Amino acid sequence: MPDIHPGFEPRILAFTCNWCSYAAADLAGTARIQYPANLRIIRVMCSGMVHPNLVLQAFEGGADGVLMMGCHPGECYYQDGNQKAKVRSVAIEEVLSIMGIEPERFRLVWCSSAEAESFACLVREIDEVLRAIGPSMYRKDASKHSKSELVQCL
Amino acid sequence: MRQTVAGSASASAREIIIEPVTRIEGHARIGIRLDESGGVAEARVHIMSMRGFEKFIEGRAAEEVPGIVTRICGICPWQHHLASNKAVDGCVGAEVPPAGRLLRELTQVLAHISDKVLHFFFLAGPDFFVDSQQCSAGNIMTIAAQAPELAKRVFAMRYRGQMMLEKFAGRAIHPDAIVPGGFSKPMSRLERDQLHADALDQLEFARFALDFAKEHVFSQFDAGLMQLGDISTGFLGMVNPEDGGLELSDGILRLMRPDGSFHEFSGREYTDFIAEHVEPWSYAKFPYARGWGEGFSMQLDDPRGIYRTNCLARINVADFIPTPLAQAELLEFRSLFGRPAQSTMLYHWARLIELLYACEKVVELLEDPAITGQQVRSDVVPKAGRGVGCVEAPRGTLIHDYSTDEEGFITRANLIVGTTHNLAPINMSVNRVARDLIKNGEVTGEALNRIEMAVRAYDP
Amino acid sequence: MSLLGRFDIVYMPILMDHKYFDSSGGSREIHIPKARLGLISGGVRNEQQLRIAEKMRRQCDAIWAFGTCAAYGGIPAMMNIFEDKDLFRRYYRTAEGTDAAPDPSQVIPPFLERTFALDEKIAVDFILAGCPPHHDFIALALESILEGKSPEAPLVSVCDSCPAKREGKGSAQRIRRFVENARYQPDKPIAEMRCLLDQGILCMGPVTLAGCAGMNGGPPRCIEARVPCRGCYGPVRKDGNQIMDILNALVSNGIDTKNLADKLSLLRFSGAHGRLTKRCVQKAE
Repeated sequence: MPDIHPGFEPRILAFTCNWCSYAAADLAGTARIQYPANLRIIRVMCSGMVHPNLVLQAFEGGADGVLMMGCHPGECYYQDGNQKAKVRSVAIEEVLSIMGIEPERFRLVWCSSAEAESFACLVREIDEVLRAIGPSMYRKDASKHSKSELVQCL
Repeated sequence: MRQTVAGSASASAREIIIEPVTRIEGHARIGIRLDESGGVAEARVHIMSMRGFEKFIEGRAAEEVPGIVTRICGICPWQHHLASNKAVDGCVGAEVPPAGRLLRELTQVLAHISDKVLHFFFLAGPDFFVDSQQCSAGNIMTIAAQAPELAKRVFAMRYRGQMMLEKFAGRAIHPDAIVPGGFSKPMSRLERDQLHADALDQLEFARFALDFAKEHVFSQFDAGLMQLGDISTGFLGMVNPEDGGLELSDGILRLMRPDGSFHEFSGREYTDFIAEHVEPWSYAKFPYARGWGEGFSMQLDDPRGIYRTNCLARINVADFIPTPLAQAELLEFRSLFGRPAQSTMLYHWARLIELLYACEKVVELLEDPAITGQQVRSDVVPKAGRGVGCVEAPRGTLIHDYSTDEEGFITRANLIVGTTHNLAPINMSVNRVARDLIKNGEVTGEALNRIEMAVRAYDP
Repeated sequence: MSLLGRFDIVYMPILMDHKYFDSSGGSREIHIPKARLGLISGGVRNEQQLRIAEKMRRQCDAIWAFGTCAAYGGIPAMMNIFEDKDLFRRYYRTAEGTDAAPDPSQVIPPFLERTFALDEKIAVDFILAGCPPHHDFIALALESILEGKSPEAPLVSVCDSCPAKREGKGSAQRIRRFVENARYQPDKPIAEMRCLLDQGILCMGPVTLAGCAGMNGGPPRCIEARVPCRGCYGPVRKDGNQIMDILNALVSNGIDTKNLADKLSLLRFSGAHGRLTKRCVQKAE
């Protein structure tokens, strides 16, 4: 795939729940499954505790993509925390679309603790998508720069 | 308190800047350029800011707009609120029930009262209550120190007016009780009785204010003051379509020429009679009377298309005032000054006559049994349309012109706000005063204050 | 008034005469006297306002952002979703009845790229939010500093002071536009009116800072008029996002927000700090 934004390394932030998705990330690490190094992981006890404001703050702070990762429906360690996450993700998607943030930048994903390969695959996929669409313009200082200037800043 | 005022500037001073113009509500700067002989070459009133309401309400749901445009002005939000609601009513074809119409008028006229008290005593007053030689000390705090009883009464009256609105309509500043289709809540008999008692107090104060002003302020109006900023203009104001009486809420517009002849038109026809001119040195535009067919000019020796609004204009264009006490005052005023009266300082007198009218009108509205009717709002169905809402704001005729799409969202808006009608006349008045008082490069503090006084009379 | 008497007010253009410039026209530097406390209202929209804010910061020991515009951008920050050039074109060339002309540019200060809250440009020591701020809280804050203490603002939402009846979550399924009045008995007090959100009317109370009713236990002002809150005191926490918070609250209660009309205007009071930008999408297709 041609480098549309040369020099751009997407910053991806993933909120991973302790019991499922974080465990998957951990497993990917120990099994030496490669996934892009520009992923930052924040471990939370449950996807249901990720307040939508945290997602917006992540974008304001410079994230180009944000993942919200929880247990598969029916498997949440806290019964229905992931259902709350699902409901909230609807609100998040709406606000992001109003803000003019491309929908590809945010995703809610279910991932069990055994799915290390899926985890890595997902991250690779998001990374590729973000490389194609370029840096997020929503970061706090984005208005000062055009997209190409922003790439040079990174 | 400190004041930076030139004592006597040298003859080489080329430009004088008065900024900010104080004791007004807008943001203005007066720039005066002197020529080689030290006389005034040019004087301009620059409006230094602009927020863009008519642009950023595009795309908004029509029923949300009346709660947004109140923020155009912290002193006259009720007028923007009402004009906006009327424009939205026009877009969606809403008919307001009688009780709703009365409540709208009541709140809007009540707001006039608060503004007039504020302006006369707090903003313009210090120029008259305090010796003009000590102009640097003129402000409401000085008055409070020098005349504590008067100050207490004034504060109480201002507060009373705000409280009347708050008790009934929740908010006095930046209201949202007027809604498309009518009003948000009916008035109970108890509320009406309480407000009626308050309104009688206000009426008594208005009578006192006029007596006080005649004795202590208008008596100071010597020839010098009467000719301050002397210009001859037309006038624009709202009147009752049936009898030509003074009207602040639901009337037609009357545009009078300096010679007293006039045209009348409805809100929707405003662009046939009023156009707006742009100058490169002010963010605000300059409305002028396109309907006179003479174009636009602010030259003192050849004014064209110039008209004024605000209280002096309103009492000039109205054939009479439909409340007895104010009408008696108007007759006295006209016997002294004729019709139309042109002297800028007479704005202060006209303002207090209007204050009296407003107080009488509030009592009259509260005594109308229909005001406690329970049906205050008719249903509104968002749809495509166009509406023009006009009211008289304290500063002048206010026009809100909106169009909506089929979902009832604003597609375009045009606003002409009260003060802007007076921008060209203010420029002319400032030019007049500056040329009269600044000669040979001598600029005294008193001259500068007089220039500002000419601006303040318009209550911009 | 007695509280005011304990302060020496050295500069206040609305009530007192003090000018930026020496009137003889010599200096162009803005004159503002030194002071212990400076209150600034309004956001920062043009270069002159920025210079004045910076001068105030230098001259005053403490600066308070006075009112929602200074604190969060306020209504004028709604302009942040539009380009200024579109504003100028509309205002100076295409508006009905306007004689088309180029954009004015002499003497008047140029616009900044958008409307800023005060603390985006200068350091702010305290925020007195409100449109307008209630005098009880102004007095409270002034009294605090007279006693040598830092002023504080309550950190609760409007719902905290609202007496309307709440009958549990999940009763409203969808939100209707406010084109008909709320349902209530006019002769009964507000405490017997059903919460507006429960009635399916969007009310920003849950995501708005309390204070409009002052400190005397009265209901929130808009609720008093039987109309919904629209968030004029800004978010509860300084960095709260009013649109995100209200949508979150609605979806968490099972309310469908997809068809909510005019979501963008939910940020009408807090559009600075980069929340309302030119990338905002006006209406869903």
